[in-house]
Amino acid sequence: MNKVHLVRRTNVSFGRKCIAYTGGLLVALFIGGILLAVLGINPIDYYRDMMTIGLIGNKFAYKSIEGFFKILVPLLLTSIALTLSFKMRFWNIGGEGQFIVGSIMAAIVAHKCTGLPTQVVVLLMCITAMLVSGAMGLGIAALKVRHGTNETLVTLMTNYIALYLIKFLGETQGSWNFFLRTDSERPVFAKFPETAWMGGIKIGNFTLLYSVIITVLIAVGIFIYLKYTKQGYEISVVGDSPDTARYAGMKVKKIVLRTMFISAALIGLSGAFAASAAQTVSSSLSNNVGWTGIIVAWLGQLSVPWVILISFLISVLQYGSQAASTVYSSIDTNFADLLQSLILFQMLIVNFFLTFKIVRSKEVVENNVVTVASEISDKAAPVENSNPTSVDENENPLKEA
Amino acid sequence: MIEVITMFLFNIVVYNIALLYGTCGEIVVEKSGSLNLGVEGTMAIGAILGYLAGCGTDNFWVAVLVSFVSSAIVGSFFALMTVKFQANQNVTGLALTTFGVAFFFFIGNGLGKNWPALKDHPDFMKGFDAVEIPGLSKIPVIGKALFSHNILIYLGIIIAVVLWFYFEKTRVGLRLRAIGENPAAADALGVDIKRYKYLHIMLGSGIMGIGGLYMGMNLGGAFEGSNCWINGYGWIAVALVIFSNWSTAHAIVGAFLFGFFNTLGVYRGPLASIFPNALGGLKLIPSHFFSALPFIITLLVLIIDSIRTDVRSNEPESIGRNYYREDR
Repeated sequence: MNKVHLVRRTNVSFGRKCIAYTGGLLVALFIGGILLAVLGINPIDYYRDMMTIGLIGNKFAYKSIEGFFKILVPLLLTSIALTLSFKMRFWNIGGEGQFIVGSIMAAIVAHKCTGLPTQVVVLLMCITAMLVSGAMGLGIAALKVRHGTNETLVTLMTNYIALYLIKFLGETQGSWNFFLRTDSERPVFAKFPETAWMGGIKIGNFTLLYSVIITVLIAVGIFIYLKYTKQGYEISVVGDSPDTARYAGMKVKKIVLRTMFISAALIGLSGAFAASAAQTVSSSLSNNVGWTGIIVAWLGQLSVPWVILISFLISVLQYGSQAASTVYSSIDTNFADLLQSLILFQMLIVNFFLTFKIVRSKEVVENNVVTVASEISDKAAPVENSNPTSVDENENPLKEA
Repeated sequence: MIEVITMFLFNIVVYNIALLYGTCGEIVVEKSGSLNLGVEGTMAIGAILGYLAGCGTDNFWVAVLVSFVSSAIVGSFFALMTVKFQANQNVTGLALTTFGVAFFFFIGNGLGKNWPALKDHPDFMKGFDAVEIPGLSKIPVIGKALFSHNILIYLGIIIAVVLWFYFEKTRVGLRLRAIGENPAAADALGVDIKRYKYLHIMLGSGIMGIGGLYMGMNLGGAFEGSNCWINGYGWIAVALVIFSNWSTAHAIVGAFLFGFFNTLGVYRGPLASIFPNALGGLKLIPSHFFSALPFIITLLVLIIDSIRTDVRSNEPESIGRNYYREDR
């Protein structure tokens, strides 16, 4: 038999969580620092250059901030959208595909609706992207609720189908292909007509794009939606236990379809935002937000305020590594990917130690009784669980070597 | 004309055997009930470490061994996270892919000009030379295409066949499938679930690693700053597992079928000019369509499988869900 045994922790204080996560973050940065040192780079210098995203001593700092927002907006919006579906335990890993489809739709509108005023075109781009991406999500959700199709694998496949679609559009010349520049020998995506450019508020040299403001508003909106509305509550019930939801009279299928539509539509919107802000479309426009968004949503523990914070931090890493790569030639932006996966691994480990406690096997019998007792007391009167906490302190948690 | 057909068949095998490695590895992992989406990253790590070890020692088999072992270590990390630390498998796997590919570039860019070239290590390179199977390789057309390959290609086929036998005909394989189907029942029978999961996740990941090494060797071991050697093959392997219905024997057919489409994308020009009447239309189909075809086919297989209730899928029942004894 096993020498050690896992027991679920009942409640963990906020302070303890903060210490644990900060510790995990530092460990990840430390491992990254060792890797940097192996390459002969001073980790402290590198991290400093990375975290300040090239702002210090830069005359064109406003450019840096604009560039930073161009990374932040798609990532934040996608992470928030993925949070919605993950909360429902719907593994939408097709963010990449939904993003690409959104950006293609935006590009079609941008090139075809040239006669209209600027803001109308941008609005149309966003709406088209949302509807088409949303419909894609709806279709996948419909398969899931009707036939139980594995949504993880289906969305995975759609990512690559969408990727090859945009590569096809970008690499095939022909009279039909209005996406490309006509004056270039080699196939290059054309810049959008000026009516399709994302507008913004000018503050001196700096332009705050409308997409930044709208994204922040959406993030706040989704926070309220999840926390204070009936529909938001339904999502978390379906996620925790579809049977409970059904028993409570919720229309589970309808909830899944609705949520997945919103989730995919928001990712499509972030594709349209990114295209309109970049004033063109390309196969690298997505910058892997579909994948990174999953990491962000998970790091943020599917809680909107945390997701906002984490996507901000990850954007600093990504933009910072771009800025730092101008100084350190042997390290490119992949270091940001390396670092964020290290951070995620640390957080997953920390999560384990926050949810489970490792105890010696001989204490198991005793412990089980306590757990059962605490469960009963939890159900009967949640306030009166002073009993298990007092036992907690007497125990001697044993960590495995 | 015969030349083109021979080369076409030859390239189907040469460019797609890594798919078989990736797929077989992933099938081993999935049979234990774990969905490892980190194939791409695992292959990338095995590829670069195996290659560097091969160059360092100038020995082909050291390279194969190191790629197997390093990827198995990556697998043991996946197992640690999902079996012991109960982390979500999708997220862990995706992070592993991000990590592996980033690690590949980190090492490659870090070495920069010091990147070892394959041609400077003749003994290492020699291990990758074609081995002609006596007799069979003299058959016209298919002899050169199928029986004149480097040793890793034969090894890949052998691994697939041995694994098929292991799953279908041995007691240990049966137990493993039981874990994948219903871990609680296997646990009640006294099967040591954790050990089975660890060992098989490591074994499967190690096999993926050899596939990664193969891809690097096949590209001549050249590091290009923006392209990872694996180039999405890990994801095609994930798709192929579904297509081959979790059978390594089917995976051999599947890998070459997917490979057929891949290669058709490249060879459609020459083929169309040789057979203008029969295959002339090939030229009209964009190569991107052929690249996307494995994913389109798998998508259709997924959908059709779930709609039809009369066909039994071999998908392990507990896949993607962690097993925690107390949760029963």
